[in-house]
Amino acid sequence: MASRAGSARRAPENEATIQYVQCDGLAVMKIVKHCHEESCSNMEVAQGALLGLVVENRLEITNCFPFPKHDDTMDEEEYQLDMMRRLRRVNVDHFHVGWYQSADVGNFLSLSLLESQYHYQTSIEESVVVIYDTKKSARGFLTLKAYRLTPQAIAMYKEGDYTPEALRNLKIGYENLFIEVPIVIRNSPLTNIMISELTEMIPEEEGSKFLDLGTASVLEGQLRSLMERVDELNQEAIKFNRYQQLVVRQQQDKHRWMVKRAQENAARAAKDETPLPEEDVNKLFKPHPVPPRLNPMIVAGQIDTYSQHISQFCSQSLAKLYLTQALQNAKEAKQNN
Amino acid sequence: MSRFFATGTDSESESSSEDEPVVRAPAPVYTFSDDEEETKRVVRSMKEKRYEELEGIIHSIRNHRKIKDFSSALASFEELQKAYTRAAPVVQKEENGVAPRFFIRALVELDDWVVGAWNEREARKALSKGNSKALTSLRQKLRKYTKDFEAEISKFREDPDLPDDNERKDSSSSDESEDEEKPIKEKPKPEPLLRPPPEDDESSDSMDWASSSSDSSFSSDDEERGTSNIREQFIKKVTKKEDDEEKIKLKLKKREERRERSGKINKRDVADDGGEWETVRKGAATSDKPKMFAKDSDIDAALVVKKLGEISAARGRKRTDRRAQLELLHELRTVALQHNLGDALQLKLRSAIVAALFDYNPKVSDAMKPEYWSKLVENIDHMVTLLLAHEDMVLSETILEENEQLVTPPYQVRGCLLTYLERLDDEFTKLLKECDPHSNEYVERLKDEVRVSALIDRVCQVVERDGTPQEICRAYLRKIDHLYYKFDPRAVRKDLPPTEETTIKKMERYCKYIYAHDETDRLRTRAILSHIYHHALHDNWFQARDLLLMSHLQETVQHSDPSTQILYNRTMANLGLCAFRRGNVKEAHGCLAELMMTGKPKELLAQGLLPQRQHERSKEQEKIEKQRQMPFHMHINLELLECVYLVSAMLIEIPYMAAHEFDARRRMISKTFYQNLRASERQALVGPPESMREHAVAAARAMRRGDWRACLNYIVNEKMNAKVWDLMVGADNVRAMLGRLIREESLRTYLFTYAHVYASLSLRSLADMFELPRQRVHSLVSKMIINEELLASLDDPSECAILHRSEPTRMQALALQLADKVGNLVDSNERIFEKQGSFFQRGGAQRGEGRQRERPREGWNRRTRNRRRDDERADD
Repeated sequence: MASRAGSARRAPENEATIQYVQCDGLAVMKIVKHCHEESCSNMEVAQGALLGLVVENRLEITNCFPFPKHDDTMDEEEYQLDMMRRLRRVNVDHFHVGWYQSADVGNFLSLSLLESQYHYQTSIEESVVVIYDTKKSARGFLTLKAYRLTPQAIAMYKEGDYTPEALRNLKIGYENLFIEVPIVIRNSPLTNIMISELTEMIPEEEGSKFLDLGTASVLEGQLRSLMERVDELNQEAIKFNRYQQLVVRQQQDKHRWMVKRAQENAARAAKDETPLPEEDVNKLFKPHPVPPRLNPMIVAGQIDTYSQHISQFCSQSLAKLYLTQALQNAKEAKQNN
Repeated sequence: MSRFFATGTDSESESSSEDEPVVRAPAPVYTFSDDEEETKRVVRSMKEKRYEELEGIIHSIRNHRKIKDFSSALASFEELQKAYTRAAPVVQKEENGVAPRFFIRALVELDDWVVGAWNEREARKALSKGNSKALTSLRQKLRKYTKDFEAEISKFREDPDLPDDNERKDSSSSDESEDEEKPIKEKPKPEPLLRPPPEDDESSDSMDWASSSSDSSFSSDDEERGTSNIREQFIKKVTKKEDDEEKIKLKLKKREERRERSGKINKRDVADDGGEWETVRKGAATSDKPKMFAKDSDIDAALVVKKLGEISAARGRKRTDRRAQLELLHELRTVALQHNLGDALQLKLRSAIVAALFDYNPKVSDAMKPEYWSKLVENIDHMVTLLLAHEDMVLSETILEENEQLVTPPYQVRGCLLTYLERLDDEFTKLLKECDPHSNEYVERLKDEVRVSALIDRVCQVVERDGTPQEICRAYLRKIDHLYYKFDPRAVRKDLPPTEETTIKKMERYCKYIYAHDETDRLRTRAILSHIYHHALHDNWFQARDLLLMSHLQETVQHSDPSTQILYNRTMANLGLCAFRRGNVKEAHGCLAELMMTGKPKELLAQGLLPQRQHERSKEQEKIEKQRQMPFHMHINLELLECVYLVSAMLIEIPYMAAHEFDARRRMISKTFYQNLRASERQALVGPPESMREHAVAAARAMRRGDWRACLNYIVNEKMNAKVWDLMVGADNVRAMLGRLIREESLRTYLFTYAHVYASLSLRSLADMFELPRQRVHSLVSKMIINEELLASLDDPSECAILHRSEPTRMQALALQLADKVGNLVDSNERIFEKQGSFFQRGGAQRGEGRQRERPREGWNRRTRNRRRDDERADD
């Protein structure tokens, strides 16, 4: 457990204030507990606040507490403040440094996540969102990832304009909405000692079930989700396509109208009359609203995560299969001999 | 209300509905010479109008007088003159040319005033110029004008304190005339018994009084002349003009009524101490037998016909008392019978009575009373008996009144038996619909069905004898209408002697006649539908199906009238049931799908109205829809229908679902079934099934698992037997068929679902598993192999199906599906790129096109090339 989880696939591109997130074992355990409880009882997402400190170039997360379930009778903000106040009394870091959320095989990317993180990051500069993947962790891979919005994403959200042009000007795409911050789990030396002792107490057969070959069901589920997303993206593409057709048709109409008006004006000029104004064209042809590109972008991001997961899973599975094949061959060879 | 039902008897219903709001029913006045009464009424209203006009002017003159405005008074006076000339004809008619008292009074008052003003010289001088001028001219004009009324004015001046008669606004004209004629002081004495006091007339129902009071005043003249014995006087008068029988009768009637009423009034007056009275009961007059003819007149056929003409002339009038008319007709018939005037006349009178009976019901939409209906049946029955008894008697619409032959054979009578019959039948249906189908009353009513059927049979005989082919068709269709929905147990018996005529044979005979001779398509359509229905009812699936396919009704039926469409729906429902009983599940599903898909088979079969959510139906619409409803004994059991539909949908859909589990473009066969199944699957906890629908769904789920035994248990158990299967003819056969089908389809489902986990399947064990004969399993598996539903080959010696593993695994299927979808996505993305002038394009140009455009271009180019090739091909 006391190992680094979540490899930093992508190095932070910009000069971020935070180089990595250091998470205390206690906070991690609390997150895991909360998320599992929540996802088992009902299929809702679990969310909570992270508490900690910024030290030099790292963000230390030392404690956390869950958000209550949505309840109208309770003021969530007040609850959070109360909670922090009480934690301070027991001498816990009370600096709000972000929030966490449970996820199911990387389906965390959504509009609401974007929104919340935007608000967090605009009010607390250093805040991160920690995503804990329940499903994957249940299979034995602890998946804890910290994300931050890129400056472009913040700018995009601030403008609230999701036209293709605006997005292009910001040079933003699904791949640079979020930036992953490496996460490090740190335990106190005492804990480390205890864990080391505990590992020795575990019987040898236990914990050797990593060679599970039942790949089909996991892959199937992921494929299905991926298909859904692809369908959705396709719908979006069709929507945009329709919009393009409309624009093209309108352009043609506009052009025709302009030509006609020019002819008329020429005729009028010949008769020494005042030319008709050309500005009417804007009144006649109102530009169609551009379909916002935010949703397709998010869907694309989701597809990207799914694909990554699938490819990762497949390579692991393949490796396992090759491994077992080799073992099997060796066994057969032994028997033959 | 009822005017929305524009049927033949529109006028009556309309008039009667207008009568309704009046609190009191019109007094039973036997006024057959209506014209007299009617003109009088018109004049009265004229009179009122004129008099009101006069009064208005007089009133304004009075006002002008008060403020001494001579010029306005002059104008008003001129107006008054004009108004009076306008009213003159009325006055002439009503009061024998004597000016009404209030008018005279106004003149006198005006005159006094003008003279007074004229005499006051000082005051006159003080008047403005216009006013004094007006005064002068008014005086002159008034003088000239009053000369015409000198006599009246002088009479008025004798005692000016008498009340103005016109204050009793619509009281009888006689008042006024009497006022003028006689010394007034005498007047009140003979009156109070006869006439209501003035206040009463002002009351709300004074309109009603209009007619009767005019009657009373009419006779009161006589009374005054010789009050001692009114009746004698009248009879004397009658004898004077004996030739005009009609008049006499009328008078007699009036007399009687008068006597009745005055007697009543007398009684009332004693009780009320001469106080007010307001009602004259309707029934009072009808207690007397109406008199038909003068005592000693010679009654012969012509006279009776004439009388009949008189009576029926009043038909449909607003004030005609329908019951009295009926009684008159009955009386007339008895008279005719007494004098032995021949059967043809009897027939004619009967037909008149039938018509009157139909009229008796004021609203077309409501059912008539059962007792009247049975009278109808009796009468029509008598008519048929008469017609059947006389070979040479013809009753037809085509015979005109003038050409009737009532006395000498060959008799010819105008009338249409068939129409009567049709209406009788319709009324019967209405009667049935009126009463609660679960009550004994309904059963009682339904017993009359036998009568109606018998009557139709007899009418058919008559029509066959002397009707046109079209009429025969109509009669036969009625016959068919009473036949087609009845199940004849003899028809399904195998050991039937060929001579016995079952209903099927009868239907065949009637329908064939209609097919051959009908000229309107409607009758033929209905006949065909009924025929199909009847066949379907008796499990003659092939005949029924062939008839339906031959008729090509499926394409055209939506253009027909609603009742035919309802019949079509009923036929289809029964055809579906028939197909199911015969084990043709697919056909059963096909027949029923259209009905059940909409979710409102109840309405489609006209077996009840469903509440509509989107928009309320208006009253008329509801009435129309109610009229279309089927009587209860003809209903088709909806639960049975739905169950059959669901079970057949299950037998088709479940194997299909199993076969096409990974097909992206899978279409569901039955939406309703699918929805039910989905709803059940979504439930977290599924309890044991209660309703029929739950049973069907539970069975479907069991079948999906390949658990045929559970499936069969859900479909065939005690509950379902009681609810559904026992209602079918040959319930045991149906159950056996169901068992077989469920096993077969479960086997197919099993093979579809689990074939991929087997390397080979032993047919023998399959047969054991599904308790099917081995040959059957063999044929099923072979069929699936042939249809490429199962990729396997049969190994005969070992009786095994050896499966070829060539179909993709689940994972592969999913991957393929994903590939499809990604392909679609790429397509639509490329289309976005293709569009010139898009945002991406322009941006690409700015940023040096390179990275964004380069890559997709190759694929895109290839595609456009292909497309171009396609275009060229298309051009070729």
